[in-house]
Amino acid sequence: MTAPAPAPTPTEQSSRRLRFERIPMRRIILIVLSLSIIYGVVAGSTATLRTGVFTAEDWQSLIINGLARGSVYALIAIGYTLVYGILFMINFAHGEVFMSGVYTAYFVAVAFAGNGFLNSNPLIAIAILLLVSMAVSVFVAVILERLAYRPLRGAPRLVPLITAIGASFFLQYTFRGLYGANVRAYPNIEILQGKWTIFGIQMLKTQAIVIVAAMLLWVLLYLFVARTKTGRSMRAVGEDREIASLMGINVDRTIVATFAIGGALAGAAGILYVFLFNQVIFTMGFLPGIKAFTAAVLGGIGSITGAALGGLLLGILEAVGPNLFLTGANVPSPNQLQPVIAFGILVLVLIFLPGGFVGASEEKRA
Amino acid sequence: MNPTAALKPGLIGGTVVIYLAAIGMVERFQDRNVITGVVGLGVVLILLTIAIAAYTAARKGRTPMPTGALVGLVAGGMVALITLGFEGLINAGVDVRGMFVSITPGLLETLEFGLNPALGAIVMALAGGTTGLVAGGLVGLKDEHLRSSIVFAVSMTLLISLGEPILRVTLGNLGIPTNWLYELGGLTIAGTIITLLAGFGLRWWLMGRKEKRQEIAAHMPEDTRRTWGRASLIAAILALIALPWVVGPFVSDVLGTVGLYVLLGLGLNIVVGYAGLLDLGYVAFFAVGAYAAAIFTSPASFLVTEEGETFAAAGFTNIWFAFPFVVIIAVVIGAMIGAPVLRLRGDYLAIVTLGFGEIIRTLVLSDWLAPFLGGAQGLTRIPAAPPESFDLRNPQHIYYVILAFCFVAAYISYRLADSRVGRAWAAMREDEDVAEAMGISVVRYKLLAFAMGAGVGSLGGVFFAAKIGSIFPNSFGLQVSINVLAVIILGGIGSIPGVIVGAAALVGLPELLREFGEFRLLIYGAILIAIMIFRPEGLLPNKRRQRELHEGAGSAPVELPEGASPA
Amino acid sequence: MRNKTSLGKLVLLLVVFSLIVAACGSDSSDTTTAGGSDTTTAGGSGDASAVCDADPFGCVEVGSGEAITIGTLLVISGPNASLGQDSQNGVVMAADHLDGTFDGVNGELLGHPIAFNHQDDGCSAEGGQAGAQALAADPSTVGVIGTSCSSAALGVADTILSDKGIAIISPSNTGPALTTPEEHQPFYLRTAHNDKLQGAAVAKFAYNELGARTAATIHDGSPYADGLQAVFAETFVSLGGTITKQEAIQVQETDFTSVLTSIGADSPDVLYFPIFAAEGGLITQQARQTDGLADTNLIGSDGMLSADYVAAAGEAVEGVYLSGPDLSAFTGDQDFYEGEFKTAYQELWGGEPAAAFHAHSYDAANMLFDAIKAVAIDEGGTLYIPRTALKDALFATSGVQGITGTLNCNDLGDCQSTATIAVYQVVGGNYDTANPVYSEVASLDG
Repeated sequence: MTAPAPAPTPTEQSSRRLRFERIPMRRIILIVLSLSIIYGVVAGSTATLRTGVFTAEDWQSLIINGLARGSVYALIAIGYTLVYGILFMINFAHGEVFMSGVYTAYFVAVAFAGNGFLNSNPLIAIAILLLVSMAVSVFVAVILERLAYRPLRGAPRLVPLITAIGASFFLQYTFRGLYGANVRAYPNIEILQGKWTIFGIQMLKTQAIVIVAAMLLWVLLYLFVARTKTGRSMRAVGEDREIASLMGINVDRTIVATFAIGGALAGAAGILYVFLFNQVIFTMGFLPGIKAFTAAVLGGIGSITGAALGGLLLGILEAVGPNLFLTGANVPSPNQLQPVIAFGILVLVLIFLPGGFVGASEEKRA
Repeated sequence: MNPTAALKPGLIGGTVVIYLAAIGMVERFQDRNVITGVVGLGVVLILLTIAIAAYTAARKGRTPMPTGALVGLVAGGMVALITLGFEGLINAGVDVRGMFVSITPGLLETLEFGLNPALGAIVMALAGGTTGLVAGGLVGLKDEHLRSSIVFAVSMTLLISLGEPILRVTLGNLGIPTNWLYELGGLTIAGTIITLLAGFGLRWWLMGRKEKRQEIAAHMPEDTRRTWGRASLIAAILALIALPWVVGPFVSDVLGTVGLYVLLGLGLNIVVGYAGLLDLGYVAFFAVGAYAAAIFTSPASFLVTEEGETFAAAGFTNIWFAFPFVVIIAVVIGAMIGAPVLRLRGDYLAIVTLGFGEIIRTLVLSDWLAPFLGGAQGLTRIPAAPPESFDLRNPQHIYYVILAFCFVAAYISYRLADSRVGRAWAAMREDEDVAEAMGISVVRYKLLAFAMGAGVGSLGGVFFAAKIGSIFPNSFGLQVSINVLAVIILGGIGSIPGVIVGAAALVGLPELLREFGEFRLLIYGAILIAIMIFRPEGLLPNKRRQRELHEGAGSAPVELPEGASPA
Repeated sequence: MRNKTSLGKLVLLLVVFSLIVAACGSDSSDTTTAGGSDTTTAGGSGDASAVCDADPFGCVEVGSGEAITIGTLLVISGPNASLGQDSQNGVVMAADHLDGTFDGVNGELLGHPIAFNHQDDGCSAEGGQAGAQALAADPSTVGVIGTSCSSAALGVADTILSDKGIAIISPSNTGPALTTPEEHQPFYLRTAHNDKLQGAAVAKFAYNELGARTAATIHDGSPYADGLQAVFAETFVSLGGTITKQEAIQVQETDFTSVLTSIGADSPDVLYFPIFAAEGGLITQQARQTDGLADTNLIGSDGMLSADYVAAAGEAVEGVYLSGPDLSAFTGDQDFYEGEFKTAYQELWGGEPAAAFHAHSYDAANMLFDAIKAVAIDEGGTLYIPRTALKDALFATSGVQGITGTLNCNDLGDCQSTATIAVYQVVGGNYDTANPVYSEVASLDG
């Protein structure tokens, strides 16, 4: 560019002046903040590694563990991301959709365990459990959409958010009323007990199964969204609802399909969850829900790949982070600080990648 | 003339009754007497469902009196039949208790009115039919006065019965005997009759006066009207001032809690309502306020030296000296938290603020900071602030303090709304890019909103600490953030009176049902959903917002900035 | 600008008014005194009006035929509801047994029926505050059994009720802070054993009986768990053992692998995690899968001494040790507890006790009934119960046989100043309260 730059228009000028005014302070705070966090992380990690408290096997098993729990987060996160991608609302009650399926399947599992079917035909039993869990979650998700969210199409965005929060409490306490307040343990499935050694790495069978199953489901979903007609409709409705409807897409049906798919994945995630944790209680959906939501934002909300990446990253961070970053710094009870690490990293990521890893740019999505 | 119109409401009503029974609400609520010895709250729930089903059915067909009653009868009868079918299933030995823990013999007993199955079924059918008949008939009733008076009398009686915990104490405080009205937590039969008659008479009389009043008001000169307006405002304030001594310490305590939420709501309203920044971690500032206050004043604080010398040297012996510093600290923390993340928009900001809320809660709970913040053991022995005759631990005293600060916060909010700053926020809320292009320093105004919200939130924390006297980390969970957000949205976002109504509804009313703790959040959730569907602008909406909302309805919300529609 | 001035005036008005009201209000008190002449005494002595006037908090007056109101302030909602419900059952059963039988009908005390005012402490400071205010506002509240959680009592319910002169006896607050000279409130007592006793007993069991020399602890951020693990660690170290790690978890989390890996790096002999059923169950399962913890003994405390925990832990629960009050050593009335009481409990509430604290609340209620009998003055059918005298009678409780042992209240309100703490082991998927593997009489004095 040799030609002299054209004189800036008044707006540009003022915005440039504004930029000049506001950036330095913010930048300085940002830079100081991120440098100190990065320093803390690096110093803490090196100190931890130098102490040699943890063996290489320990780290391996922690990472596997993080991948396993991250896979569950990823599956739930997809539900958030699909709904967000099409309706631009945070379905706060998605954690309860997850809970409803696996909690209901519990009663089937107990019946199977009672008559021995669970361990005599484990694969069929698991398939049935999976079906029950997915069916109930789909049912709850679709009912939720029909009764609570559909009347709110076109309302300002805070309105469906509050509705979703209300629905979250409503569902939690409905299931408390139906199934009771006690914590319940899923019956053990014998073939899932024990460990496998894969590529020289020892891992629990359940962990391996959860990771593989989650990956499989993710691929299926990806193909579904990319290849099928419904998947294309979903993307079209997400882009522009009105034009999509002009193009002959049934918007209502597409939205219901989205909720159903999210519910099905949450139902499947529920069964994988009890493989890992063996326990159900009516509050079990809330925390995984929040974490999956965090994972979805971390990856870039609206993106299916982002949800998967975000979930895995969050899982690994939770499993490895406290021990790696804080043990060496002699912080007492490092694992208690797990939320600080998870959310701290989230803030850091969003500061530098405001749209998450895979998300569209912040400006567009806002 | 179409009885099939009754089928759908009847079916839905029946499902609702089964739902209420299956989650245990009917049985548990039956413990509470509505009319002692006659009917409990559980049965009232069923009858109410029937009445609503019948009313809806009759209304749908806009049917005149005789058919309306018929349609109501069909709908009500259907609900009763479905309930009986459900009952029959359990009676037939379909034992589902292994899964549905609330379907118990006690539930059956309630559904059978404590009689044997056959007799119970007859009573149920009769009660359902009659309720349906009456409710359906009401729709067709020509006489507006009569209809409205009947509905009013029944609702008032129900409310007076439900309000027993508060009303009995309050009336007792005023020296009014309540033995004739209440008995064992419910109304006496005589009390019911008197209340029904009084309610009916009152409404009848009021409706007669209404037209006259409207006429007078229409002809009232501007000056007189203003004087009236002012007089009623002063009367309202006097009433607020006299309130704690009328209602006694327990209700004052509830009022104090409501006041705290009003204060928090006003603070968050600046952030969400005015500036349009969705903050899901408002509890962070509440916690900062409470903990800072405790650290400054508690003898258990780390600021107290080994020799027991308190921080008094610096003048911080009590809440009164500490609170300005606490607010400053909170404002600084608010700005520090805000600075890095304010470029984020919408849901990204929401999750990040939620994260900050969780970070603060985790930090105050942590063993790491326990030497300073008390960890799991909390910070206790926050001393009473002087003067001694005005002990803040007394709910009737702290009420005034909270009331005063609510006034200040409301006044500031009110003045801010139409100020230069307020207009800048409004512009930013509508469209950030345009606002920026118009020369508004978006980041600066966002920071200002964040910092002001933080300051007000921390005030809430200070008086929470003063009120309770001990603080523990579990009081600062995500639930608080959600409650405050629900309060402002329920009341009507951006609206100051709305915050008050929202707090009273969401924080005050549940106290009436204290003994049903396990259903509180269920009802809370149901109310949130219902209000958002039927009245999304909130109970007492801000006028401009309401306009925006109704204009914007129908267009895709995709491109809309937080909390606003294109205007 | 007009707005501003009118609002200014209003604020001024408000301030003036509040000052006036405050000045008028500060001398109001809730004494309910009454005169009378023919004095017949129930247990208390003297002229009722003189006694009531002399009592700084006055008397509770229970009219002829009216009920004596006992408050409860226990956690009956939320995730800890089963704990509070169990305690509430114990209180109701004590009233039931006033007539010598468990028949679901309350007996009478000095010719008056018993009425309950059940409040929820929400297991939180604000819950305790609201519930305590509700009870304090009712002038007929004679005494309160509560709270369930220490955080609802400490500086909250204990202070509010003490300020009103209402005695409060907790069946399950075990936090040491409540009965320290700095924090103790004059009307607060408890029949629960102080954590100092239980934490120390577990440490001795681990060191002496299991021969453990290294130990790690986990708490869940509740004052209860944090307090217990701190006492355990202190005692364990003083016995000569080493604490390898003191960790903490977040409630409602489910994956504790990283905590356990971190603890497992030192392979401690003992892992003490005095938390609650849900997280306790998960830690039990996951500890069994952690390499470094293969030979580690797992010990929990009475928060996990329930059927809920055993169910939540599944098969991994085998061999876990759980500490708690020694139900088998309940001096004196063991037959009564194991026989009549437990049978009645199952009949009345439709299941096994979910926690151990019903026994403590049963004793607490009986303590309160005995104290009422001792101080109430009966004048023509109307009972006058002087509040301070009632408190003094409670603190004077000594050598009384309850079902949890001998109650001896000390000056700081600990009524189990000596308690028998037992450790049970889960064998064959259950623990047997009649057969502890370890039992010791622990005393706060030494």
